[in-house]
Amino acid sequence: MIAAPRLRLSHDDWRNLRTALPFVLPWVIGFFAFTLYPIIYSLYLSFNQYSGFGDAVPVGIANYKHMVSDPLFWKALYNTGYYTALAVPIGLVVAIVLALLMNQNLREVAIYRAAFYLPSILPLFALTFIFIVLLNPRFGAVNYFLGFLHVPTINWLGDARWTKVSVVILAQLGAGGPALIFLASLRAVPVELYESARLEGAGPIRRFWHITLPLITPVILYDLIYGTILGLQIFTPAYILVGGTSGGAAYTAGPENSLLFYVFYLYKNAFQYSDMGYASAMAWVLFVISIVLAVLIMRWSRYWVHYEAD
Amino acid sequence: MTLLPGRGIRALILSFLMVTACSTGGSTGSAPPLAGCNSGTTLATFWTSHTPPDSDSLKNIVTAFNKQSNSTCVKLVQVPGSETDIAKLTTAVRGGTGPDVYMLDRFTVAERAAAGVLEDLTPYGAASLGSSYLDFAWQEAQFKGKPYALPFDTDTRALYYNKDLLKAAGVDTSALDARDKPVTIDAVRTMANKVNKKDASGNYTTVGFIPWFEQGWHYTWGFAYGGTFFDKAACKVTPDDPKIVQAYKDMFWDWAGSLGVAQAQTFISSYAPPNLPTQQNAFLTGKLGFMISGDWVLGNIQTYVPNLKYGVTYIPVPHAGDAAATWAGGWSMVIPKGPKNGKGGYEFMKYIAGEPGQRVYTKETQHTPTFKSLTSDSTLFPGDHSFFSKQLSAAHSRPPLPVGGLYWDQLSTAQDAATRHTTEPAAALATAASATNDKLKQYCPLA
Repeated sequence: MIAAPRLRLSHDDWRNLRTALPFVLPWVIGFFAFTLYPIIYSLYLSFNQYSGFGDAVPVGIANYKHMVSDPLFWKALYNTGYYTALAVPIGLVVAIVLALLMNQNLREVAIYRAAFYLPSILPLFALTFIFIVLLNPRFGAVNYFLGFLHVPTINWLGDARWTKVSVVILAQLGAGGPALIFLASLRAVPVELYESARLEGAGPIRRFWHITLPLITPVILYDLIYGTILGLQIFTPAYILVGGTSGGAAYTAGPENSLLFYVFYLYKNAFQYSDMGYASAMAWVLFVISIVLAVLIMRWSRYWVHYEAD
Repeated sequence: MTLLPGRGIRALILSFLMVTACSTGGSTGSAPPLAGCNSGTTLATFWTSHTPPDSDSLKNIVTAFNKQSNSTCVKLVQVPGSETDIAKLTTAVRGGTGPDVYMLDRFTVAERAAAGVLEDLTPYGAASLGSSYLDFAWQEAQFKGKPYALPFDTDTRALYYNKDLLKAAGVDTSALDARDKPVTIDAVRTMANKVNKKDASGNYTTVGFIPWFEQGWHYTWGFAYGGTFFDKAACKVTPDDPKIVQAYKDMFWDWAGSLGVAQAQTFISSYAPPNLPTQQNAFLTGKLGFMISGDWVLGNIQTYVPNLKYGVTYIPVPHAGDAAATWAGGWSMVIPKGPKNGKGGYEFMKYIAGEPGQRVYTKETQHTPTFKSLTSDSTLFPGDHSFFSKQLSAAHSRPPLPVGGLYWDQLSTAQDAATRHTTEPAAALATAASATNDKLKQYCPLA
């Protein structure tokens, strides 16, 4: 076994390091103070009862035990799992399709790219408000068009069966970001491969299936992991969609708490019920779930991701 | 060329000093901190999550205060938040950038005081002000026998009805117009059913009455049925009181069943979607025959639909001869932990929650004052407002609990389950009881 080489810095290296340090220090301090410290502190808080003020009272693993018997915790976990399982694959397909459209060899493709990307630069907050109007069961554009197809009235935001689907549809308006990454990977696929496939008589579907798709699998893997982590943290649409209604559901997270996503429930515990300890414990459980899912996806990816070096 | 290490550090220090110098603009002696304030005053910040039209009235009160105060200059800031959501406040207070005065829903005062967010107002001399306020409002402002808030407005709830809509449906409203005693729920049901109309696709275009719309909360019907929400001696919430269970069954479960669960929800989603502007309320736009709501709606009608022909009467009761019941809510003024100008903040609190502030707020927003001397001033309650203020003496109020927000959410979850026929009221309320009591026990006994 060979020992790892010792890091040896020359005089110049040291001098450069001393010069650079003051410039990177603000970031390093920021990382320690605003990222690492809160992470460690939240682990400590998860074993305490703490309102955010006064002294934290140690309670051992009581916060973690409480989760097991808390029906809203399981409801939130179910809602989040349901949303992620639906939003991630759909988001992946939408992003790839958008990227393929943006990759067309047309003169005015720049205009299309801008148009497809436009919804992604709008704040989610504004998009959600627009969505509320579009999804109105009687006066919204979505049901109006579905009416032509004789689809019965869907109460998108007032029926627990449709609320999460509505949020999944809303999430697709942000597909422009991942689509740009897919576009970059599509443009990195060597043109010669398509040319030789075309000479062999391969049609567009076959070319996509056997050349494009395998070569963009590393980006699909990235999007899958990133999308899963973001999906587990879904918060903003639910927060706005359940806001101030006079219909009697303002204090439940959507009909039958169907929009009580994990982070939303965590937020309610932290800032509405002043239970920072329980909220911290929930955050750590989510962290563990995210890690486990990421590792599982990485392992699974061995069977279908193709790297160019392979 | 690389900079010498010493020069790098010197550059950094220099930049820091420049930024610091720029950010600490010196004060100019006794100039007022804000336009409209008097010279020599010190700044106090006041945060509210209220929106127009109520926040317009708060602005007027702040302006009037600033004009007359020689020591304090108040800056009003509108912040995100709601009755139970004070995320902005708690994070700011922890960060040392909280306000000097915050407008807090009064039924959560005990909860926030228990969490340590609020300053005890005893050192400011608030304990001596108790006799100036209506007793229930003053009790809501206490935690463990100490004052943590000064009560601001209150309100009571009643049954609004749209006279034109009812008349067009052939309903005789004389029993409602008489306003001598509450009508029964059955009588209202009979009238309301005549108003219900559907279009060709089976969706309601007008509905007579949806008991859980607007202020038709769990507390509203629980009190109407004579229910008790909290057992002080046992230090336990009691949403599973048989009277409350019956209220849930009659007003939520059965009523939703007779309207059609899905159709009722579609009507609400269509005419009362999330974040709807006040002026588009289904009652104000003539889509609802009856609505339970508070006195502030009088102001909304005046502002947005002054020609609406409406009436106001008691909340209906289960049986003929039952006493009328309503409940009073309202807001309060608090000093959050670590104020920069607590003394100035308290001076403003005494003004806004005192006679001058509450007088303006009552006149401009049609809320009801909690300041005793104002409740007997008939000039403040023109027209139907007097009906609401007269109900105040017999009004119930929500139990001021250190888990009040959680309890409200739990009752709402059970209400939602009942109106959607997903969980029977008895089971849903039993869950609400155990979840709330589980959190409440750490604070027991409540002084």
